[in-house]
Amino acid sequence: MIGKNSEQMRETRLVFYRDDVDRINDVLEEFLKLSGAKANILIDKEGHAVTQAGLTSSLNVDTLSALVAASFAATREMARLLGEEEFTILSHQGKNDHIQLTLIADRCILCTMFDDSTTVGMVRLYAAEASKKLHRIFDTIARRTEAPAGESIAADFGDQAESALDDVFGA
Amino acid sequence: MVQINFARKEVNCKIVYYGCGLSGKTTNLEVVHEKAPSDRKGELTSIATEGDRTLFFDFMPLDLGKVGGMSTKFQLYTVPGQVYYNATRKLVLQGADGVVFVADSQRSKLEENIESLKNLEENLRENGLDIRKIPLVIQYNKRDLPDAMPVEELDEKLNWYGCPTFEAVAIRGEGVFPTLKKLSAMVLAKLNKEYGVGSRKPARTESRAQAAKASSGEISTSDRPAPTRKPAAKLQRQSALETATATAAPPATERRKGAAQTERPARSEPARPPRRSPPPPRERDPLRTAARRRTPPPPPARSPETRRSGSGNAVFYAIYALLALVVIGVVYLLVSGKLNEWIANL
Ligand SMILES: Nc1nc2c(ncn2[C@@H]2O[C@H](COP(=O)(O)OP(=O)(O)O)[C@@H](O)[C@H]2O)c(=O)[nH]1
Ligand SMILES: [Mg+2]
Repeated sequence: MIGKNSEQMRETRLVFYRDDVDRINDVLEEFLKLSGAKANILIDKEGHAVTQAGLTSSLNVDTLSALVAASFAATREMARLLGEEEFTILSHQGKNDHIQLTLIADRCILCTMFDDSTTVGMVRLYAAEASKKLHRIFDTIARRTEAPAGESIAADFGDQAESALDDVFGA
Repeated sequence: MVQINFARKEVNCKIVYYGCGLSGKTTNLEVVHEKAPSDRKGELTSIATEGDRTLFFDFMPLDLGKVGGMSTKFQLYTVPGQVYYNATRKLVLQGADGVVFVADSQRSKLEENIESLKNLEENLRENGLDIRKIPLVIQYNKRDLPDAMPVEELDEKLNWYGCPTFEAVAIRGEGVFPTLKKLSAMVLAKLNKEYGVGSRKPARTESRAQAAKASSGEISTSDRPAPTRKPAAKLQRQSALETATATAAPPATERRKGAAQTERPARSEPARPPRRSPPPPRERDPLRTAARRRTPPPPPARSPETRRSGSGNAVFYAIYALLALVVIGVVYLLVSGKLNEWIANL
């Protein structure tokens, strides 16, 4: 399936395979260790979380992702109005907790949460490094033409979709 | 844009409720939030003004459960309907996988509905999406109001694309689920068609058994008509009330019933949008127009804990109030001639 019209698919969807996400996770973990930040969530531009690292269990990841993507989209529009191409870093400073948002390869946003046990400078420094590494991973993802074995939408997806919908919305 | 994530075993889709101001988009989402099984829904977040008007969007995640081994999740968004907020609306529409167009059935709202639908097409286009290709359903809402236009007429005036339509009284929860169910089915069918491994394989008996097991709990399956699978192009019987038909229905949606649901025939030759409609009045101050335009129907039961109105507005009001005071003070001094006196004394 992937091989058949991969060109078109790359344009119209985001697919993340296990290997790719493993490699992304390694980068995120390393970034946390070096920067002293608490947690990372990688979010696609549509506001869906791709993966997360660190202390994210107490977070409402779905909602956070949607809001992060929306605020990034809004800032992008502001940048356009100002004649700037894009703001690649956004930061929100709180009393104790802070968030930095870093645009990665124009398709994802890295949301980093940290507190005063580290500094904005540290986070920014290592975010830039992580960003470069993630960029390279995305490049290889974009060049992929074959899906890894066993990673595709199941054959009975259509039938199961039907019963899942009945389940949630009633028959 | 669908995100397929094999590491998380997740499929993520974005669904947007579109339509003119006050047509009932937020109400739709509130109903979904209220009625969806509690283990399937996330928090409903609203970025709204003081007066409960949508400022940026409402958002709610909905989990459809495992489909084909993947956890299938929908992110539901509404847009702000007011003309003024077009930039925001365009942002929310970005990457949408399906759209519910919520039309206000009242005759007085016809022009606004038409404008909004045209605006949808335009904003989709600017986001690189084609309204003829994206899964789209139209909901004729507020069927309870005396001014509601007949559905046939609404079809003629609004359903240029021949998409499935549903009647609804969102404020009473009627027609909300059938609308979303149909759109969800269309989104998943498209996904399956584009990315699936041929859905015509004989894995069916097993999944039927699973389906029966899954739904035997709360939902009675006995009164459901036997699932008959027909080619998509064939006309189907859709509703218990009306024997309306639809073409191009995805395979996943054939067994359905429900009083509020009336799916209408698809047009093979979509009527052109009327070109004469004048642009609706520009709303320069959305906060004030919100108050002016609020319609008399009783307010819905909004759950306050899930409504997060922007407290940022209070700051703006405070600044405006301060500015106004300063201006009034200066004017008063000028008029009473005390300013000159005061300056002279400096
Ligand atoms: N009579 C009636 N009022 C409705 C219905 N659905 C929504 N409303 C009301 O219409 C107003 C606007 O609804 P809202 O969901 O905020 O509209 P939105 O601007 O599209 O988000 C609210 O006062 C709702 O209570 C309906 O089916 N019938
Ligand atoms: Mg609203």
